[in-house]
Amino acid sequence: MEMGDMKLEVQLKLQAYLDGELPDGEAQELAEYVARDADARALLTELKHTRAAVADYEADIKLPESREFYWSKIRREIQRLESVEPAAKPASLFLTLRRLLVPAGALAVLAIGVLITTQQISSQKVLNALETETAQADVFTYRDYDSGTTLVWLSYPAENSLADFSPTDTYQ
Amino acid sequence: MSEASLSSADDKSLVSAAKAGDMFAFEELVARHRDKIYARAYSMMRNEDEALDLSQEAWVKAWQRLKQFQGESSFGTWMTRIVINLCLDQLRRHKRQRAESIEALDEESGGVERQMPVVTVNPTERLERAELRQRIDQALNQLSYAHRTALVLHEFEHMEYKEIAKAMECSIGTVMSRLFYARRKMAVLLADLRKSE
Repeated sequence: MEMGDMKLEVQLKLQAYLDGELPDGEAQELAEYVARDADARALLTELKHTRAAVADYEADIKLPESREFYWSKIRREIQRLESVEPAAKPASLFLTLRRLLVPAGALAVLAIGVLITTQQISSQKVLNALETETAQADVFTYRDYDSGTTLVWLSYPAENSLADFSPTDTYQ
Repeated sequence: MSEASLSSADDKSLVSAAKAGDMFAFEELVARHRDKIYARAYSMMRNEDEALDLSQEAWVKAWQRLKQFQGESSFGTWMTRIVINLCLDQLRRHKRQRAESIEALDEESGGVERQMPVVTVNPTERLERAELRQRIDQALNQLSYAHRTALVLHEFEHMEYKEIAKAMECSIGTVMSRLFYARRKMAVLLADLRKSE
């Protein structure tokens, strides 16, 4: 029988039937098919023969070394690993990163703090300068932050005592 | 555990003792299962030295992971799965290292085995056990890694299709075809070997 005559799907189903991998319903169908098809029976027989031929193959394979020699290599390796394990245990990537990132993070926080402080001081200097100038010009400013409105009254020379105020008092 | 009690103890007691650090108990487990573990490695690798190395590595791993063994399967089954996984890893490394274009093509198509006439002779009928084993050895050597692994896991480890698919990282359909081609090729090779007598 030329196996090309039988579809691969059917061949694989026959094998699954032999291996007990078909659902009950399909297994029954296959059994009926095998009963009436000589080619299917022949293939099934060949698959069974091969399975039977290899079944006990491993039982005859014996370790090619004595028990003592084989065990001595295993024991040595276990002891070697146990003796070097604590010292040679590689640090995990996470631990290595943490070791580097913690000081780097602290430095970054410090740098950001310094930067913000510096900016606040410099902006305050600008405001102070403006205030001084506007105070000297006798300016009254009203700002409504909710509505975003700013009202400014100007008079010259200064008519009130605000001109003598410390500018920082005004903006505190 | 004393020397006398070691040999009479069952696997479960030996595992408990080994978990507690008793290396003599572990040695007894090695002695009991060493042939089976080596045989599985040899079936898969087809190389005595590699099979020895991998089986020993399996025992070392077993010692290290002994606390993970909960006794849901037998100790022998647990050990066998360890050595199978090591062999699969090693075979994957081999596969990456060599150009397998022809072999890959063969695995996809099933080669010529699918088209071969059915073999009617039964190889177990007229061959002595030792001779049959030798011939199966030769036939297994001629199978591709993928076909042989599917065959070994199914015939020797009695794994279901879905378990083999998981172990070999492929579909169940691929397992079925690999197993089928492996069996057909084995049948043809065993028959050819008989003819060459």
